[in-house]
Amino acid sequence: MAKNPVRVLVTGAAGQIGYAIVPMIARGVMLGPDQPVILHMLDIEPAAEALNGVKMELMDAAFPLLKGVVATTDAQEACKDVNIAVMVGGFPRKEGMERKDVMSKNVSIYKAQASALEKHAASDVKVLVVANPANTNALILKEYAPKIPEKNITCLTRLDHNRALGQISEKLNVHVGDVKNVIIWGNHSSTQYPDVNHATVTTSSGEKPVRELVANDQWLNTEFITTVQQRGAAIIKARKLSSALSAASSACDHIRDWVLGTPKGTWVSMGVYSDGSYGIQQGLIYSFPVTCDKGQWSIVQGLKIDDFSRGKLDATAKELIEEKTLAYSCLN
Amino acid sequence: MAKEPARVLVTGAAGQIGYALVPMIARGIMLGVDQPVILHLLDIPPAAEALNGVKMELVDAAFPLLKGVVATTDVVEACTGVNIAVMVGGFPRKEGMERKDVMTKNVSIYKSQASALEKHAAPNCKVLVVANPANTNALILKEFAPSIPEKNITCLTRLDHNRALGQVSERLNVQVSDVKNVIIWGNHSSSQYPDVNHATVKTPSGEKCVRELVADDAWLNGEFISTVQQRGAAIIKARKLSSALSAASSACDHIRDWVLGTPEGTWVSMGVYSDGSYNVPSGLIFSFPVTCQNGEWKIVQGLSIDEFSRKKLDATADELSEEKALAYSCLS
Repeated sequence: MAKNPVRVLVTGAAGQIGYAIVPMIARGVMLGPDQPVILHMLDIEPAAEALNGVKMELMDAAFPLLKGVVATTDAQEACKDVNIAVMVGGFPRKEGMERKDVMSKNVSIYKAQASALEKHAASDVKVLVVANPANTNALILKEYAPKIPEKNITCLTRLDHNRALGQISEKLNVHVGDVKNVIIWGNHSSTQYPDVNHATVTTSSGEKPVRELVANDQWLNTEFITTVQQRGAAIIKARKLSSALSAASSACDHIRDWVLGTPKGTWVSMGVYSDGSYGIQQGLIYSFPVTCDKGQWSIVQGLKIDDFSRGKLDATAKELIEEKTLAYSCLN
Repeated sequence: MAKEPARVLVTGAAGQIGYALVPMIARGIMLGVDQPVILHLLDIPPAAEALNGVKMELVDAAFPLLKGVVATTDVVEACTGVNIAVMVGGFPRKEGMERKDVMTKNVSIYKSQASALEKHAAPNCKVLVVANPANTNALILKEFAPSIPEKNITCLTRLDHNRALGQVSERLNVQVSDVKNVIIWGNHSSSQYPDVNHATVKTPSGEKCVRELVADDAWLNGEFISTVQQRGAAIIKARKLSSALSAASSACDHIRDWVLGTPEGTWVSMGVYSDGSYNVPSGLIFSFPVTCQNGEWKIVQGLSIDEFSRKKLDATADELSEEKALAYSCLS
């Protein structure tokens, strides 16, 4: 007997990431090939015609799993009864804009959308914030949607996590599916800390630590880290456009693992509301290693943090605290 | 035990359709979720940096099924060993260009790519031409790759087929997955004939004829046909860009059904080498209703063709014969 459809909201749906993600959702990449979906797509008025074009194409593709499309510029209609919300929409940084200007515009957007989600979404809605500054947008959303459980509000660092897996797999010339348990700590920004201290590779003689197999701490502690941190800029340089394909795919991974659970022995990275684990200040949206089971994430506890890592974890936390302060000052 | 990877070539891979298509292939939408793939991506030298950006994003997405990426501007390297070739690359029509100019540029491209495929692809390589003029590009490819079996060279009309399903489902307010057996006859152009005379809808009281349920022959013979024929233009008007999402998705459907078979009782539309069926001149790439089994397509025979339909079939066949003559004149 077919499952009831799940309502999935994508904001900023007329943009690049939206265009990449909606066919993935409609094919079951996000929630499984047996889970029908109804897509809710939201964008701003200037993008209304383009948004309708996306709706037309979704219809034209005749997706068997797609049981409906709501394409709207009205936040209330968009949020109504949604079970999953992927917040891609935000104000992009333009040339000449100061950080405070970008922050200012985005915190207003996320404050308003928090309100709409809280009032109209399903009560256990799972929220993934993608638009940058992702962690701080998610924090603002959380603050202004107090009825949404704080554990339901997350931001995307799975893209960085997947990028780290990819870099290791290229370095070791192994398949990316055989690499696991990297960690992205902190902010989805250039202060993120890609940590391989607990990462492993499946080999013909069992699981081996990445650090051992790479046998190049210098690389792991410098170039590897900066490559992952700055990968977004490298993609822009090559494509003249931001990552859309990989961001969309990673957003699907984030939701899928959250909803359907992580494989045994494997963790992933998610930006989640910090509870003081690993000495990180509470009340930030901070990326941690997590496992997921029965629709809930939980931070992997007890991992050793060496001095080098400690410095990195604290630096990215410091940046998030500054962003939080800046965000609040914009709202006053 | 895991299957051997299939090599899938996408030409024009740095463009819009390529960007939508490659993550679909990497997720198993084209060949099934248990079929590993190696992607071969080809584009022209001016697009080399953008193409590398796509390769970087494919690495960044950490797709478990993706066992390798060959991104190249060298057609020999691109074609080597490929089992599936999706030809998206072509010269787009620009303002002020005459039809003959577009045709000239594209027949040259398809003549040289025919040669490379014939020499370097895996035996029994299945070819899908997407770039317009799709049918005629496919015909040129066939003519200049005589050692590729003619049954292995096809063009995409599945997008039109899916669009027709979508229009019927909207008209009847039913799920698109409950509509089947429309037919797209002829050329992937505005002379295509979307035919519902044999199409049905699954209802609680069994399968019913679309024509009966719609009960509006004027619409089915008029607006429905022109809507499907001109849908491409409608998408461009709304998005300011060509269909990429729906074209990519339909290309996956075309290959998947060809390789894995059509469901019992269901046919699809494919542009295939005509054998004289339905009094269509042989030696054209013409869209017919087909079923697929064991990796082979077969034209559905014996469908009754009324007078109205006969005229439409002949008109689109005439256009294809004219295109063929024009293409050959460009090559002389």
